Amino acid sequence: MTTLAFAILLVASLAAYALNRRAATTIRDGGARLHSVSNYHGLFALLLMLVPVLVVILIWLVLQGPVVNAMVMWALPAGTLDGLDTGQADLILAEIQSISGGRIFGDPEPWKLAAAAHLTELRELAALGLVLLTALLCLAIMYVARRKVAAGFRARQGVERIISGLMIFCSVAAIFTTVGIVASLAFETYKFLRLVPLTEFLFGLNWEPQIPIRADQIAAAGAFGWLPVIAGTIVITFVAIFIAVPIGLLSAIYLFEFAPKRIRSVAKPLLEILAGVPTVVYGFFAILVVAPAIRSLGASMGIPVAPNTALAAGGVMGIMLVPFISSFADDALSAVPRSMRDGALALGATRAETVLNVLFPAAIPGIVGGVLLAVSRAIGETMIVVMAAGLMANLTLNPLESVTTVTVQIVTLLIGDTSFDNPKTLAAFALGMMLFIVTLIINIFALRIVRKYREAYD
Amino acid sequence: MTDIPSGSGAVARTTMDKVHGSLARRHRKQLILQIFGITAISLAFLMLFILLASLITTGHKAFTQTEITLEVFIDPEEISVERLPRGNFTNVLAAAVAADLPSVDQQDRAEMRVVGGILSNGAQFQLRDRVVEEPELIGQTITISVPVSDPYDQLHKDLLDRETPENLRRLDDTQIAYYDRLVENGAIAASLNTGLLTNADSRFPELAGLKGAIMGSFWALLTCFLISFPLGIGAAIYLEEFAPKNKLSDFIEVNINNLAAVPSVVFGLLALSVFIGLFGLPRSAPFVGGLTLALMTMPTIIIATRAALKAVPPSIREAALGLGASKQQVVFGHVVPLAMPGILTGTIIGLAQALGETAPLLLIGMNAFITSAPATPFDSATALPTQIFIWADSPERGFVSRTSAAILVLLTFLIMMNAIAIYLRSKFERKW
Amino acid sequence: MDALRTVTRDIDTNSTKISARGVQVHYGDTHAIKDVDVDIKERSVTAFIGPSGCGKSTFLRCINRMNDTIDICRVTGDIRIDGDDIYDRSIDPVQLRARVGMVFQKPNPFPKSIYDNVAYGPKIHGLARSRAEMDEIVERSLRRGAIWDEVKDRLHAPGTGLSGGQQQRLCIARAVATDPEVLLMDEPCSALDPIATAQIEELIDTLREKYTVVIVTHSMQQAARVSQKTAFFHLGNLVEYGDTDDIFTNPKDRRTESYISGRIG
Repeated sequence: MTTLAFAILLVASLAAYALNRRAATTIRDGGARLHSVSNYHGLFALLLMLVPVLVVILIWLVLQGPVVNAMVMWALPAGTLDGLDTGQADLILAEIQSISGGRIFGDPEPWKLAAAAHLTELRELAALGLVLLTALLCLAIMYVARRKVAAGFRARQGVERIISGLMIFCSVAAIFTTVGIVASLAFETYKFLRLVPLTEFLFGLNWEPQIPIRADQIAAAGAFGWLPVIAGTIVITFVAIFIAVPIGLLSAIYLFEFAPKRIRSVAKPLLEILAGVPTVVYGFFAILVVAPAIRSLGASMGIPVAPNTALAAGGVMGIMLVPFISSFADDALSAVPRSMRDGALALGATRAETVLNVLFPAAIPGIVGGVLLAVSRAIGETMIVVMAAGLMANLTLNPLESVTTVTVQIVTLLIGDTSFDNPKTLAAFALGMMLFIVTLIINIFALRIVRKYREAYD
Repeated sequence: MTDIPSGSGAVARTTMDKVHGSLARRHRKQLILQIFGITAISLAFLMLFILLASLITTGHKAFTQTEITLEVFIDPEEISVERLPRGNFTNVLAAAVAADLPSVDQQDRAEMRVVGGILSNGAQFQLRDRVVEEPELIGQTITISVPVSDPYDQLHKDLLDRETPENLRRLDDTQIAYYDRLVENGAIAASLNTGLLTNADSRFPELAGLKGAIMGSFWALLTCFLISFPLGIGAAIYLEEFAPKNKLSDFIEVNINNLAAVPSVVFGLLALSVFIGLFGLPRSAPFVGGLTLALMTMPTIIIATRAALKAVPPSIREAALGLGASKQQVVFGHVVPLAMPGILTGTIIGLAQALGETAPLLLIGMNAFITSAPATPFDSATALPTQIFIWADSPERGFVSRTSAAILVLLTFLIMMNAIAIYLRSKFERKW
Repeated sequence: MDALRTVTRDIDTNSTKISARGVQVHYGDTHAIKDVDVDIKERSVTAFIGPSGCGKSTFLRCINRMNDTIDICRVTGDIRIDGDDIYDRSIDPVQLRARVGMVFQKPNPFPKSIYDNVAYGPKIHGLARSRAEMDEIVERSLRRGAIWDEVKDRLHAPGTGLSGGQQQRLCIARAVATDPEVLLMDEPCSALDPIATAQIEELIDTLREKYTVVIVTHSMQQAARVSQKTAFFHLGNLVEYGDTDDIFTNPKDRRTESYISGRIG
């Protein structure tokens, strides 16, 4: 049915285009001078119909699901939902939906069958409503657009106004995304902070987000102090940067100053491959190769290494960041004017001295910006740590131990079915909020440095 | 004349001597820096090599599948036309295997279970489908090739060490004897594992395939493209060609640059709370995944498109404007077509990134266990990277090589996409 | 009058510092310098003039082997300084460049302090044994660069903060700090205003007392003002070489005459 609505819209738009274009041509053939060529009259009708009706359909589709569900739940026999939290209510809804979809497991209660029938009925009604609404709107707009056709009508300006509006909407989508991120994180974090005080979250030394599943279950009440989690993040980030920065900078310096052209033309694309490998692949590499290697190395030296050592996750993350840092360093070195290089060489500096004493200091701001962006990436990197780092929060700075990170906690807390009103789920959003804030600050700072630096030499 | 020191030649000589004296040390320093540089870059490439080598050595075994060829007598006592789907195909198959193993007592149920265990759990369904298609086969003997179960597959691929003590081995001596006997009979052979691409996920490694994941990724990428491409291009054209230089466009610009650097998991949180929580869109659906990926890909497309538009020289714009074209006619008629190769290249690279993205898809539940490929973008599904994550997490040994194989498949797709981008760039690149 | 007197003096006292024979330079497929022979006298100013793209800068960069830093550039022929073949395998370009300083078209001070700019050459070559010795070298070089009085109170301010003319004199000071024998100048005044240009020209005239100066210039007036010898390049050929006064008053080649009278260029 939804497809039918789209089909109606498409056909009607094309019809409106043809109709208006024909009408404009007729006026022109009648000897009048058109302000806009007839094609624009057609396009005007097309856009006038396509844009608003598409918006209406999309809004309808977004709202249809929740509204229908709410009506079904509301129509359930009184008292069925008493004492159930949203998770359980969602389960009932899911069961009703699957019955309505024809997948019946066991023998559901009669009220569920009735509700399922009700749901099916409402859905059909909604689909029919959508098609009718689309058809009506199309007809109305076609009429309005057809009335507009006249010799003096500025169809081109009309079309350009609509297109401008569309483009502005596209540009603002980026803002919507940011606003959406901030609003959703802030909203859930606010709910979290009503359950767990801010001071406990920021300064607590324990992170044990287990909560009792049944009321009578004996379990820890759950502790939500994020310090051990952020400590783990810092350890892994530090290991990653400690590996990525020297390797990345030295390779960049070598490729920039010393490598023969042939080596450079092979090495740069190879580094890009390293950058293009998905992080889930690095994660698998960490558990398949790196972690066992580090553990057996530790065993051979008599050092106890935890199975999920931060070294494995951090090390692999470091490898992932090497191309990132080296490409930033390469850009920064290339941006230093050639005259600096010539000046140093003409004084009799060796190429190593030229790079280290003149080019590198001049490129420092650009490189620092790149390293900061790498830090922000390391903090936000998820898959490598989810696969290779630990799950248990462990307040330590020893990279041989198993630590957990902010992103690991977000993923493990949210994997599986979740309802939005227990502290476990909400804690993930609170962590997400902190992650967003920290990386945002680093990014803004780093991007500003990089931009300033570019301006300095442009 | 006299003010020129007559000893200037001597001074120069000593200067030259000093320079000469320092040369060896300075060249040594340069050499050390070069050695460090070569070491660093070699380390990076060594890691890339180890990464690919380990994936290929573990993964190539998953591209073959050990199969057993059986002469199956479709016993009408076990399988009848009336109750076809409920027929006891397992027994029929076990009997067929036992026929090859003279030592087996067909009446011993425990022994027959072990014999049946040689076959994959999926063998019975394969036979069932065949018989359902041609019911007249009942009562006849047919030849059929079915996959063996994971431990035997491992044994055949030399991944199971016969030297391990029996109690630590997944197959005991009797089972290995059965296997050896079947190999002697020529019943067991390895063949190309087409199931890896044509099967959906399964609990049993020998049956698990990537069809569901590939379709899930396809639907997600399609959604992602349909949303991010028009939005991204629209925004880029507006910002580059039309936007007035004011606070708002500055703000949008800063916004886009920052969005490109927001951790991907945060987009997952947004999707979970807004798309699933607020809009009530279905969990695990590739459509929601694509929507999320679109938000992440959009900044990449915007940045690439703006660069491509910037590369079109102003003379083209001026020429068209000079003929009396409106600003929009200039941009859409001349500038955008000229920038198209660059825009497409950027888009493909953005989509390749989206294809490898995992974390946000985990949060919206695309790591569910689903045994059928999605028919529409609204069905539950996994995607290639999340499937890799699921398999990497599975305890069965057979999934290790499947995971590597899945990664190789994913990397193949990524290489293909990048190759297209490089081709586009080299074919249409224009030097102004 | 003064110029005439110095010319006479040069001929009397100076021997050949740089001698080039059969120098050819190729940039990829372009033949940039065609078979140039020239002898440059010690402690004099020699000017290279000619229209843009005639190869005068390229030839200048052969003298301290700066062309080595360009991958596609190939130099053949023979250039000797005090009889040493500078393209010989045993000659290290690093050492050569300490001996042959260079000043560029655009002032290019390093983004460091004025002091560090001047001290950089002596530091890498290990010319000063102590801080005091370095201070002395820096002061002497800045004085020779005729900029000491302007910067002596802010030696630790960044060199990039100076005006264009000051920056160029700083670069000259930086070049003479390693005590070179030859100073190459590649259009050192083309980015400067007339007042700064006059200051630099004056400075070049005093530098002649200690160094062999080779200057590439666009401006014939400048060549006439500062040089004793002039070489005219055209399309990669050295067309005419001789005493500056002779070249400007009595050119032997028609191309030189046309250039000087403004018909080509």
